[in-house]
Amino acid sequence: MDVLLNLTINGIATGSLIFLLAAGLTLIFGLMHVLNFAHGALFAWGAYFGVWIYTQTDSFLVGILGAIVIGGLLGWLLERWIIQPVYTNTMSQIQVTMGLLLVMNECLKVFFGPNQVSVRLPDYLDQSWLLGGVILIKYRLFVIAIGILVFLGVQYMLKRTRLGLIVRAGVMNKEMVQALGINIKKVFLYVFILGSSMAALGGMLFAPYSGVIHAGIGMDYGILAFIVVVIGGMGSIVGSAMAALLVGVLGAFMTYFVPSVALAVNMLLMFGVLMFRPAGLFGR
Amino acid sequence: MKTNWLVSSRLWMGMAAILLIGFPFVSDSRSALILLTQIFIYAVFAMSYDILLGYTGIISFGHAMFFGIGAYTTAIFLHRWDHTMLAFLVSLLVVLVLTGIVSYLIGVMTLRLKSHFYAMLTLAVAGLFLVLAEKWRDLTKGSDGFTFYIPDVLKDRTTLYFASFFFMIIMFFLLKRFTDSPTGKVLQAIRENEQRTESLGYQILHYKIIASVVAGLAAGMSGSMYAITLRFVNTAVFGTNVTLDALLMTIVGGVGTLFGSIVGSALILLVHAGLTDLAKIHWIFERWMIFFGALYILAVMFFPQGVVGMLRQWKEKWKRA
Repeated sequence: MDVLLNLTINGIATGSLIFLLAAGLTLIFGLMHVLNFAHGALFAWGAYFGVWIYTQTDSFLVGILGAIVIGGLLGWLLERWIIQPVYTNTMSQIQVTMGLLLVMNECLKVFFGPNQVSVRLPDYLDQSWLLGGVILIKYRLFVIAIGILVFLGVQYMLKRTRLGLIVRAGVMNKEMVQALGINIKKVFLYVFILGSSMAALGGMLFAPYSGVIHAGIGMDYGILAFIVVVIGGMGSIVGSAMAALLVGVLGAFMTYFVPSVALAVNMLLMFGVLMFRPAGLFGR
Repeated sequence: MKTNWLVSSRLWMGMAAILLIGFPFVSDSRSALILLTQIFIYAVFAMSYDILLGYTGIISFGHAMFFGIGAYTTAIFLHRWDHTMLAFLVSLLVVLVLTGIVSYLIGVMTLRLKSHFYAMLTLAVAGLFLVLAEKWRDLTKGSDGFTFYIPDVLKDRTTLYFASFFFMIIMFFLLKRFTDSPTGKVLQAIRENEQRTESLGYQILHYKIIASVVAGLAAGMSGSMYAITLRFVNTAVFGTNVTLDALLMTIVGGVGTLFGSIVGSALILLVHAGLTDLAKIHWIFERWMIFFGALYILAVMFFPQGVVGMLRQWKEKWKRA
């Protein structure tokens, strides 16, 4: 029983990290039909640069803030110079963003060396409580809390602000919003920056969670985020949150009980959803 | 109109072919011979990718799975059964059957999806094959891979060179025949305008599946030949990099022109070999993926017609002038 509970908490924490990555991906796709294969690279950049700042300043919080800023900056650069020229051409989009993923991953190897980097938690987060046989690791709860906060923040943004109103309207009917005199490209730029900083935040939080980071995490977690977005339905934040929890918890249980098929299960889940409900479980 | 002999592409191709046939007799550089052999084999793989990307207009990120199936099947046959020509030929047959079945099944299940989802799903399926190759240790020896003996006939590098060269020529003409066939024309129509082709009464899905199977078969065979040249196989043959290499070669050479894939394969592998040499001078050249990736992004954005496409444009201008 304790094992099950521990696994569930692990799964929810992993799910929170995946959600941070998937939320940006799903918004970007929902709004502009751009599937950003390079999204995972932002996760890896967030992890590496966040950790670098963390070790330089010796402050975890500054590291997190740094990761968010760097994610946002990168998002702005990518959107402005690389994604915008290929908006209308789906084929080029897929190819360019995939190329970007490779280049950005290789750049990390150039900056930080090809070996993996180990990351240590700050002391105040490196504790755990024993609660009736269940070990509660403080950092996992911290990650879950941030995941919930970001989810609530994005929901607030979407439901209560003018920007969110335009984004939701844009997901429904882009042409109509443009016809009403709103510069949807600008809105998309904001959404892209927001999504990129969330991905970088996810990467930074992931770094001490796993203890080591390597340049391949961008690809690995990028694929997980895709699976989540497909299962949850493109453009749906709630769907992504639910699917991220599902993938996270399922992954935790599978790695514990049948490790050899852990990755395959997620793939099969996505396969099944795409076959029988291509719009996703929560998509329209 | 009298055609100018300078712009006759057949003449150039013929001259290139004669040079390549003569090459082993004038040069005794072993490394150049091996490099050219690899170029021929990768050219077939890139051509098979061009059937999907250039002629049908679909992007797959999982094309490496057919390459890997081919490489592993041949390797396992030669390793487990016998290293004779018979075993090799039987393995080629098995490769055709396997890649045919896999590409058909994947096509039936995934080609209905929009391009984004198809790209993603093929990435996922290729990932599954990579995991399978890593976990099925009894058969594949995991990620370490294994070496094996090849048939005595093919052991000589020069023989292998000619075998690969004629393999490429034969595949080029077969695929050329396929793309010029009525089916090939329908595929190009799908690339240009899917809705219109459908309203003309063609079953889009059927044609896309045909393209997927043809590409799968050709890629599987190139995988077999690749394993033969290396005499070694490991899980790298299923890697995403393999697919991306094909994508890069096709784009740099020129999409939708089978010949472009050959040019692209030569360019990319030569540049790769050059950069690997440069790595001795400066370590940054070890990270050649950066150069390729950047080249690739720039090619997609600013140079979508590729080398062969550009030459054709010049040729048109020349004729008009």
